[in-house]
Amino acid sequence: MSIRVEHLTHIYNKGLTYETKALDDVSFEIEEGAFAGIIGHTGSGKSTLIQHFNGILKPESGRIWVGGTEITEKGIKMTEIRKRVGLVFQYPEYQLFEETVAKDIAFGPMKMGLSEEEIDKRVRDAMELVMLDYDVYAERSPFELSGGQKRRVAIAGVLAMKPSVLILDEPTAGLDPKAHHEILDMLEKLHELDGCTVILVSHNMEDMAEIADTIIVMDHGKVVLQGTPREVYGQRELLTDIGLEAPAAMQFTKILEEKGISLQESVMTMDETAEAILRLLRK
Amino acid sequence: MNSIIELKNVTFEYKNGDEDRVVRALDRVDLAIEEGSFTGIIGVNGSGKSTLAKNMNGLMLPTEGEVFVKGMNTRDPETIWQIRQSVGMVFQNPDNQMVSAIVEDDVAFGPENLGVDPEEIRRRVDQSLTDVGMYDYRKKAPHMLSGGQKQRIAIAGVVAMLPDVIVFDEPTAMLDPKGRREVLEIIRKLNEESGKTVVLITHFMDEVARADRVIVMDDGKVALDGKPREIFLEVEKLKELGLDVPFATELADRLRKEGVDIPEDVIFMEELASEIEKRVKNQCQSESNI
Amino acid sequence: MLKDITLGQYYPGDSVIHRMDPRFKIIATLLYIVALFIMVNFTSYIFTVTFLVVVVALSKVPLKFILRGMKPIFIILILTFLLNLFLTRGGDNLFSIGFLSITTQGLRSAVFLATRLILLITASSILTYTTKPIMLTDGIESLLKPFKVIGVPAHELAMMMSIALRFIPTLMEETDRIMKAQMARGADFETGNLITRARGLVPILIPLFIGSLRRADELAMAMEARCYQGGEGRTRLHSLKYSYLDLIGAIAIAALLAVLIVQRFWFA
Repeated sequence: MSIRVEHLTHIYNKGLTYETKALDDVSFEIEEGAFAGIIGHTGSGKSTLIQHFNGILKPESGRIWVGGTEITEKGIKMTEIRKRVGLVFQYPEYQLFEETVAKDIAFGPMKMGLSEEEIDKRVRDAMELVMLDYDVYAERSPFELSGGQKRRVAIAGVLAMKPSVLILDEPTAGLDPKAHHEILDMLEKLHELDGCTVILVSHNMEDMAEIADTIIVMDHGKVVLQGTPREVYGQRELLTDIGLEAPAAMQFTKILEEKGISLQESVMTMDETAEAILRLLRK
Repeated sequence: MNSIIELKNVTFEYKNGDEDRVVRALDRVDLAIEEGSFTGIIGVNGSGKSTLAKNMNGLMLPTEGEVFVKGMNTRDPETIWQIRQSVGMVFQNPDNQMVSAIVEDDVAFGPENLGVDPEEIRRRVDQSLTDVGMYDYRKKAPHMLSGGQKQRIAIAGVVAMLPDVIVFDEPTAMLDPKGRREVLEIIRKLNEESGKTVVLITHFMDEVARADRVIVMDDGKVALDGKPREIFLEVEKLKELGLDVPFATELADRLRKEGVDIPEDVIFMEELASEIEKRVKNQCQSESNI
Repeated sequence: MLKDITLGQYYPGDSVIHRMDPRFKIIATLLYIVALFIMVNFTSYIFTVTFLVVVVALSKVPLKFILRGMKPIFIILILTFLLNLFLTRGGDNLFSIGFLSITTQGLRSAVFLATRLILLITASSILTYTTKPIMLTDGIESLLKPFKVIGVPAHELAMMMSIALRFIPTLMEETDRIMKAQMARGADFETGNLITRARGLVPILIPLFIGSLRRADELAMAMEARCYQGGEGRTRLHSLKYSYLDLIGAIAIAALLAVLIVQRFWFA
């Protein structure tokens, strides 16, 4: 499913002295099946933005389409939209509440009114996707697991609803490098297998370069850039102005350029950098 | 150099949940932290690094072995408050270490507990808030601040106790890049300008690249211990332990494997760029020689 | 959502009310509440309302902020008003449908009771709006100190309250986030009967409870690391001192009480 946003504005504490415009005339489109990244600082409006996609927040003005449905229209049943748009919040492990892992993951499917067999199947599928062995973990209490495992249970809880659009807010925040890579690998795999639209909110420029095929840059409630990672990261000055750090590969390229060495093509990842340098040296 | 903290054959065990399974979080660790140094401790979750930190000021007492701070044993109830004044600690979650709903009162909490004179508390609070660049926020409520700002307040709260050592237990794990940069800059300053002994616990290698010493923890044991340059050489070993290596170190390692001759001690981007520059220029020269 | 609740929060400022001693403000608030219960006639209402209006104006807390604080108790207010309106008998009949009727006495008592409630809440919120939580707890601690001999744990109570106050906004945010997260998983908090709704709260309450335990654990450790060892031997950044402002305040509240007592015993 695609997501289209037109002139979206959201205001917190409207009418009070400390009212803030969290989103200011935001428009963009994310195509069906895309792996989109949204980057920006804390307070840039990215978390506010994604909470509009399943109707948890209502805009001050503007329109949003999910697939062909305009969800900002009156009378739209949000519970229906939430089946199609899965949203994983920041630190999702803090929302776990059931006695067992399986029960917690089943919460969403149960609320959808699915049959018991279907629920069971979905729990198993979701656990497989997040790489948690059903036989080992299904009956364990989620509170006994490690931080990374808890997070995967929480993500599985949303995956089990089989959303067509999966949105994740900083899914790797606070994790160690190992757990961090596991989550990203999982998302990549999921996107390939399932073909669902994935929207990843993050301030990690490295991850975005590796994984996203389109990036939206937010600053002060506005979309300042949208394009492929290459296009977006090409705007080095603009990114520096916002205070976002370019991925290490691009920082390195810049240092080389200052020494008068040009890598021919623009590189964003470790692999690309290594190849480009080798080509240069073997010329 | 004097050792300000000494861990002697420290083992720490705890019971896990209702299963009565004993977990050994620290396994016979011998370690000494030098006065005035900047020590980085890295390791994945569950490697024991946080337990190690909490043993350094008596928040946890070793199951076996002893910990000494300036010669005082952390087991001695007589000196425990002196030890905690001397070894301050900043935790991971900025929210859960603030006691007061007003910034300056929170910073005052430590000195108040130490029974410092009200006028002296005022002076220390103002000074430490200035040190972390948060003086203008002294009357604000913590929940109105960003993660990075809260963490700076937490640091000020520790600085106001005039400690010799500050142990940072993953202070940047929950921060965004901007907050992370700010906090790291303050930590660096505390070490270089105020002469505090710093122990920084983190997941991120690049945060300890400029430390005096890096200790890598794995499964309750010290897996590696040395200067950053020595540690970063062990790319394979670090990856095996689930840790990332800094960009330049990994890139240098890759190039080396492809037969490019890059000296072993290259760990910063600037150094690697210079090495590549040298090679490219040599190439040009040899081309023009032909 | 929940973030909008301002009741019990501190509103930063430097007004004369803000600068008064917390001990005085606590006592004055208590006296004002007493005043609310001894007022009997229209004149005493005029005095108590005017008194509070002046205090609110002096405090420079925006009216909007105070009104928003009323929101959570709005239902109770309406309910009290209606109950009194319909159930009090006496005086002339103003209006009636079926068995319901409004009498002059009913209207009078409904208006008076609602006003009294509004005054009560406004007065106590002015106390919290203009007094830093820590000052408030300092004040309570200091006022309770004489009772230490009979076993009142003054310091511990004050510390507990100050921590509770510190964590209210944090827990509000957390509740908000958990609610949204469960809503994203299809939870519905708005429909169904009372029982299904109450059961629907489980996915919020359990994470909130577990989160609070985790926070308490971490906070205890952080406090210990900062040498907290109870109230013994502690000094304070702000030591409490009465000023001429408190004297003026004391005269004002005494005058109000005097007027009300006169009204009650001579004019009523």
